[in-house]
Amino acid sequence: MAPVSWHSVDLTLDECIKCNICTSHCPVSAVTDLFPGPKYVGPQAQRFREGGQSRSPDHSVDYCSGCRVCNEVCPTGVRIAELNARARAQIVAEKGLPLRNRLLGRNELLGKLGSFAPALANFALHNAFSRFMAEKVMGIAREAPLPTWSTSGTFRDWLKRTRDRRLKSDKKVVYFHGCATMYYEPFIGKAAVVVLEHNGYEVIVPEQNCCGLPLLSNGEFNAARTYHHNNVSRLAGYARTGLPIVGTSTSCTLTLKEEAPELLDYHDEPATTLKLGTYDIFEWLRELYEAGELRTDFQPLPLKLPYHAPCQQRAHRIGKPALELMALIPELDLAESHARCCGIAGTYGYKVEKYQIAMDVGAELFEFVKAQGQDVRYTACDSETCRWQLEHGTALPSRHPIEILAAAYGLYDLERRDVVAGKR
Amino acid sequence: MMLDLLVIGAGLTGLTAALRAAEAGLRVKVIAKGMGALYWTPGTIDVLGYLGAEERAVQRPWERIDELPERHPYRIVGVKRAQEAIEWFRIRTAELGLDYGGRKGGDNALTPSPVGAWRPSYLLPAGQRAGDAEDGRPMVIVGFQGMRDFYPHLIARNLEAQGQAARAAVLPWSVLSERRDRNSVQLAEALDEPTTQQRLIDALRLVVKPGERIGLPAILGREAHARVLTALTQELNAAVFEIATLPPSVPGIRLATALRRSLEGRGVRVEIGMEAIDFHAQDGVIEFVETATSARPLKHRAKAFLLATGGVLGGGFDSNPDGRFWETVFDLPLTTPQDRRRWFRPLFLDPQGHPALRGGVAVNDAFQPIDAAGNVVYANLWAAGGLLAHADPIAERSLEGVAIASAVAAVEAIKLGSFAHA
Repeated sequence: MAPVSWHSVDLTLDECIKCNICTSHCPVSAVTDLFPGPKYVGPQAQRFREGGQSRSPDHSVDYCSGCRVCNEVCPTGVRIAELNARARAQIVAEKGLPLRNRLLGRNELLGKLGSFAPALANFALHNAFSRFMAEKVMGIAREAPLPTWSTSGTFRDWLKRTRDRRLKSDKKVVYFHGCATMYYEPFIGKAAVVVLEHNGYEVIVPEQNCCGLPLLSNGEFNAARTYHHNNVSRLAGYARTGLPIVGTSTSCTLTLKEEAPELLDYHDEPATTLKLGTYDIFEWLRELYEAGELRTDFQPLPLKLPYHAPCQQRAHRIGKPALELMALIPELDLAESHARCCGIAGTYGYKVEKYQIAMDVGAELFEFVKAQGQDVRYTACDSETCRWQLEHGTALPSRHPIEILAAAYGLYDLERRDVVAGKR
Repeated sequence: MMLDLLVIGAGLTGLTAALRAAEAGLRVKVIAKGMGALYWTPGTIDVLGYLGAEERAVQRPWERIDELPERHPYRIVGVKRAQEAIEWFRIRTAELGLDYGGRKGGDNALTPSPVGAWRPSYLLPAGQRAGDAEDGRPMVIVGFQGMRDFYPHLIARNLEAQGQAARAAVLPWSVLSERRDRNSVQLAEALDEPTTQQRLIDALRLVVKPGERIGLPAILGREAHARVLTALTQELNAAVFEIATLPPSVPGIRLATALRRSLEGRGVRVEIGMEAIDFHAQDGVIEFVETATSARPLKHRAKAFLLATGGVLGGGFDSNPDGRFWETVFDLPLTTPQDRRRWFRPLFLDPQGHPALRGGVAVNDAFQPIDAAGNVVYANLWAAGGLLAHADPIAERSLEGVAIASAVAAVEAIKLGSFAHA
């Protein structure tokens, strides 16, 4: 039987008034007939999924990217994205999963493996022949913006190397770095650490697993449960003592807070304690700011910066704290994107049959960036896969808002993506 | 810096109130659970279409206001102020590129609904004005093969039955889209493209007879609406009008989009996906409202709060099978009967409407919610729009007029009163 329950979404089904606002906003159904739209695949198809039936009635749900725009705009609170995620898990339970999706769901393992010999791994993955073969054999789109492994060591290597220079303080914060920071983009973690230390906080980085989101969005709920269980075991204790757990990957923090407990029906005391103690890093910094405790000794950053709050950030329903805090930086000229989605949606746009859909979805965002003019040097976005997609779609480098903040504190070089020498 | 005003709800009431408040120099923010009810509405500004059990539509809405219940929002605002509010709204939307207008002399216009009934409206968007019954010229109602929820034969036949010369024509789906299935918003986006416009013009040329007005589903462009309308009118040398579709309704979406962009241009944030779930008050003053997030509730502090969450459909109220009927954010006192047997009359389309829909939040002359004894419930809370008691905007066809008039009146009161309390 499927490892899914319809527990928490069933009741919201009846709230659907068929107004089609979700379908009008769905970025995927806007560009392809393969996905008829959230209303049909979510609350309508759901009528035919109830009651332990042996086969799923609708396979187009696989084309839902899980971006959650439908949830965001629904005026009546139907949990459409969760309905779709569960429906996909049911299909996976019925039919099994291709090797590709198993691989894409395991970015922690991939990150670890590549990090043994990152230069070799980068060469092995990022050459035309391998990408061609990966597309032919596994269905991973050859043009898709896959990350490169860090060749200057992992984030944890850097932490070890700089152990003596790290700030010790009575004020402490726990950092959830996620897999991308650990293996591909350690500089995001460095930027986060220096920003937190600049504000007087000692940064604790406990052992942690992948948050499990790639598994959840590929329908592997049982494997995701193991990851979430490990994270709860390792992190809930900190939350219980009142330490905030902040993350720079908005999708990881969303998973710890809501996606994993919700989709896995994982609501015991430790999981709930972790949920309530977890913050998107800008959500937490905004709290500091509102309490008058955030340092605002920002240097001018004379940049035109298009900022896209990714879907997974918007799904937190916390407003746009990164935008609010970046607005404090002198001479930084922010332009807020209202594009619905960059298209990549985690691992969705890596799949050969979905690559073009992802690019068509992202066109709205790429156009927005282009409309900001020739003097734009960077874009900004909180989510790693979205940044990679943005770079792929606009040919401009993209930065995490924490890098922008670190740069404004004078602690970070935006071009080299490294902490400034002598600044820890 | 502390907000002066937090508006809860992003329908016509909330967006109008925010615009008015921003104009007055208040620091304002809008939060809403989802996209507002404008997405469902035909984009017209209806002031008063029907009164009581009268079967005929109201001809001159402003002359009939004093026949409404004594505490109806229009009677609290007063006819003159309500007219001024609507005129202010007309001017502002004109500045935003939406050309609203009505019949001369303050009469209601009558335009076809998607089933071919005449709908009384006070102001019509430019795209709907050529559909007014007053015009008299024959109509050709044009649909598209396979388009859901728009049936030209049904519309034409019903119009004929009411004395309007009308016939139906159906164009191939491929005129609009190569895609299999599209809703009205997606079709409007397709018509933003000049090539699709040209295909439509070419196809219409073959079916339209001289002297006919052309009625089309309201899909004539989303961003490029004015251009599409002009192109069709000029190229076909005929009057062209849109008939608002079932939701999603593009004319309502155009209005919502224009208002949101105008607010953004004034630095007002409209945050969607934020459901107000709780609040905290001290000594009768609201300190903050909380919205649901992925983890902890998020606090929104402000000096003043305007509740604009709408009526039953908009989400301002909820009910349960035990007969409890409540206001969703502050659990305000309601005039609605707390006995479910008294919520509805037996006939679904009873011309008098239903008690559950006429009930709601009672307010004083300053649009502050009051209890049964007439006492203000919270010193810094105001309410406007569909949730107000003594109006039934659906039965009266007064939804937009009540929204605009009460939003403007509430913001005027906030300007005068709020900061004394804060």
